[in-house]
Amino acid sequence: MTKTLVIGLGNPLLGDDGVGWHVAEGVRQALMGASRPTGGEGRRTDEPLPSPYRGGEGEGSVPRPPSFVEVDCHVGGGLSLMERLVGYDRAIVIDAVNLGQGPVGHVTCFPLEALPHPSVGHLTSAHETNLWTALQVGRTMGAHLPAQVMVVAVESPYVYEFSDKLTPPVAAAVPQAVQKVLELLGQEEEP
Amino acid sequence: MQRITIDPITRLEGHGKIEIFLDEEGEVANTYFQIPELRGFERFCVGRPVEEMPTLTNRICGVCPEAHHMAAAKACDAVYHVEPPPIAKKLRELLYSAFYVADHTTHFYALGSPDFVMGPDAPVAERNILGVIHKVGLEIGSKVIQARKYGHAVVEMIGGRKVHPCTSIPGGLSKGITEEERQEIEKMGRWAVEFAQFSLKLFDDIVLKNSAYVDMIMSDAYTHRTYYIGMVDENNKVNFYDGKISVVDPDGRRIGKYAPHEYQDWIAEHTEPWTYLKFPYLKKIGWKGFVDGKDSGVYCATPLARLNAADGMATPRAQEEYERFYTTLAQQEYERYSSTGAGKVVHQRLATHWARLIELLYAAERWVELATDPEITSDNFRTIPTETPTEGVGIVEAPRGTLTHHYWTDERGILTRVNLIVGTTNNYAPISMSIKKAAQSLIHKGTVISEGLLNRIEMAFRAYDPCFGCATHSLPGQMPLEVTIRDARGQVVEVLKQYC
Repeated sequence: MTKTLVIGLGNPLLGDDGVGWHVAEGVRQALMGASRPTGGEGRRTDEPLPSPYRGGEGEGSVPRPPSFVEVDCHVGGGLSLMERLVGYDRAIVIDAVNLGQGPVGHVTCFPLEALPHPSVGHLTSAHETNLWTALQVGRTMGAHLPAQVMVVAVESPYVYEFSDKLTPPVAAAVPQAVQKVLELLGQEEEP
Repeated sequence: MQRITIDPITRLEGHGKIEIFLDEEGEVANTYFQIPELRGFERFCVGRPVEEMPTLTNRICGVCPEAHHMAAAKACDAVYHVEPPPIAKKLRELLYSAFYVADHTTHFYALGSPDFVMGPDAPVAERNILGVIHKVGLEIGSKVIQARKYGHAVVEMIGGRKVHPCTSIPGGLSKGITEEERQEIEKMGRWAVEFAQFSLKLFDDIVLKNSAYVDMIMSDAYTHRTYYIGMVDENNKVNFYDGKISVVDPDGRRIGKYAPHEYQDWIAEHTEPWTYLKFPYLKKIGWKGFVDGKDSGVYCATPLARLNAADGMATPRAQEEYERFYTTLAQQEYERYSSTGAGKVVHQRLATHWARLIELLYAAERWVELATDPEITSDNFRTIPTETPTEGVGIVEAPRGTLTHHYWTDERGILTRVNLIVGTTNNYAPISMSIKKAAQSLIHKGTVISEGLLNRIEMAFRAYDPCFGCATHSLPGQMPLEVTIRDARGQVVEVLKQYC
């Protein structure tokens, strides 16, 4: 059984930086909605939905046999994100990016290694190591980590001002990003 | 020298940005270090119930949410005029000690040690934790991951959640721990003590036994004679969670201690036109510019600062290391200090890495002490507040500096004003001075600017473990440090980017 982790990254209080959380919530809702008609699989339909804002890390698990998809949100990066990815075969991370390669709200999808300079440096902050290096550390330690990490990214420079709301173009891009994640999940489930 | 106006927009690009200005002779005239600042947090908080602050503020930063949680909880206690019971304080400190072990471990192995294990001139692609693991052995990697795992496990047991604890509330905690949890916490703590000792031995073998590194640590390029501040307990020993803030002068003599509610009598903030971030300084001494010495109010708040501001460590093994630290780096001063009580101080900024490991050992020992406290599983972990909320200050030592939260509320406990002085902000002036001094020592007329040279300048600020605050913004996962070197006419000579 393939274990996939869909994980929204960022700070939900830091404007568009929290878009990953919104998209992850959208994906979770969509998956639960999809599981309802079949009944018996996944969560009960009358079960209250855990909010990522309330539940924080570690909640929002949606088992969907025969594959297993878990949806979660995470604030950290680097080593702590790598540690969260241990035990999964596939991972889709969702985050705001400020690459300047498209208009605000532009949704892109690429493998992690396509990010600029994935191999160098220490950073997500000045304290840590980047995710690429962290994954290498984990693999060197023998941890079971996703063979491939796909990134669904939403372009925005508005990630430095505290707010629990997304800017309108980024909010408008959430459904598209949700769809992109669902497409990736669909591709992964094909034999 | 031509004055260059720096476009304020460049501050907001998400870069740690250094501008180096050369004079007519090709010597360094000045440097500017700019940090992107997260904006609007105080405004975001106003109008919310104050008891939300321990969970709101731990979202400020993905690096030290536990520190914000603790400072906020203590500020909430003060706002509600309630004294948490001793068990609550001990449980909070236990959580905090375990957090310190995970945080200091990460800094040393991911950020500090690569410069020494791989060498300051090693290619940047190797100068990281992966390089350290490849060079020293897989065992190192396993231990680092284990230390983080244990630290996070304790945070989750006491704090209710991994990384972002949620159990500290006005008057104490919302839950305690069971005997089974206590046993588990004790076991992990004893492992952490051994790991901290292993880390100090590693530092000994790799750094202190290499005379080139010792010379580098002791060199003038990385030395500043400033004031230091740090929290101490009633015996003037380092404490991360509770106590007064001790202030020592550049001779290592204590000039006073302040309680959290007195911070505004001691700390003021200076502004510069080229950055939004303010420069805190000692009010009683005054702002005299970016200069060393007794007449300058510039102070430092780091692991090195905490050791300087205290009389020792409160646990036995860390105290031994504390004494070894001073007898190695400031022998005569320390002997005089031990016999006459005169000041003792280490000004070498690269020694901060060693100081951080001594704190790692202290945190691990304190973890065990608290986990074996006979009352720690008691269910007396909260005093219900009964007073009308007004105003309060909470201070803890964050790993990268003294962290101050100050809240004002109306009679319903709704926030009307918030003021925070976060860890790295304390050190903005000394970091800027350290960068300038390193650049002045390393760049002269005819110097070839190389990646290695850039790294040696970068090492000046890396010792401070500066927090850019934006740590939660994880992708693309790098915050480039950009160094622009300009000649006397303001023309760009060289631009170097490093993903630090």
